Amino acid sequence: MNDEQAYAVIGGRGSMTVFEIYIKTTPERLWEAITSEEMRARYSFGVATVSEWTPGSEYKASVPGVIDIAGGKNIEVDPPRRLVQSFTALWSEDVQKEGTSRVTWEIEPVGTSCRLRVTHDQLGEDANNELYGGWPMILSGLKTLLETGEDLDTPGSLRYAGA
Amino acid sequence: MDEVFKALADPTRRELLDRLFERDGQSLSALEERLPMSRFGVMKHLRVLEEAGLVTTQKRGREKLHFLNPVPIRLVYERWVGKYAEPWASALSELKKDIEKEEER
Repeated sequence: MNDEQAYAVIGGRGSMTVFEIYIKTTPERLWEAITSEEMRARYSFGVATVSEWTPGSEYKASVPGVIDIAGGKNIEVDPPRRLVQSFTALWSEDVQKEGTSRVTWEIEPVGTSCRLRVTHDQLGEDANNELYGGWPMILSGLKTLLETGEDLDTPGSLRYAGA
Repeated sequence: MDEVFKALADPTRRELLDRLFERDGQSLSALEERLPMSRFGVMKHLRVLEEAGLVTTQKRGREKLHFLNPVPIRLVYERWVGKYAEPWASALSELKKDIEKEEER
C-alpha cells in the first residue's frame, strides 16, 4: 500500500477529522444543547446558531451585526441521534477560501452517558486548521454546560459573548 | 482521566499520537510501517489509546482508520492550565487592540 491509500479520503476528496467526548446526559438533552440557539451560544465562543432544524433547512452561526461565523444546510436531521450539515466557514477571508465541508454529529447512549462524535470531513487536502481547530474547545464547553450547568470560561471560549 | 495518563505514560503510544498528529486518519498498516514493532504490539498500544479516548476509529471499506482525538487532552488543559493561560490571553488581546489602534492613526 502506498502512503496516499493509507490515509483518510472521504467521498473521493479531502481529509477528515474526528472528535469524541463522553457527556453525562441523555440523548434528548444533548440534542437540545446542540440545536438550541441560547444553549449553543454558551459553549461556541458566544455565537448563536439559528435554524429550523428540518432536513434541507439552512442554518447560520453569527453574532448579528458583528461577525458571521459559519453557515450551511442541514442535510440529515434525525433527533436525538444524528445531524449532518454542510459547513462553510465565514469568519475570515482565509477560511472562506476553503469552501464547503461537512460536519456530522452522532449521539450514542452509553450507560448513563452519551458518546458524542463530531466528524468534520470533506475538508480540502491541507485544509486550514482553523476550520476544525475549535472543536475540542466547543465540545469541552458543551460537556461543562450539560454536566454542571455552568459556562466554560477558559480564554477564548466566550470570545464573542456580549459582543 | 486515569486512563489518559496511563495511555500517555509510554513512549511508543506518544509516538503513535505524534504520527496521527502529523497525518490524521491512518490505517494500522501505515502506522506499523514506521515503528520497529510487531503488528500485534502496535495493535495493543492502539487499543490502550482507544480506551483512553485519545484515538478514535472509523471504518472505510475493509480498513479501520485511526484518528487523534485531542478532546481528553483539552479537558486536562482546562482543569489545570486554563486559569494560568487567562492573563496571557487577555494581555495579548489588549496588545492586539493597542496595535490596531496605532495602525488606524
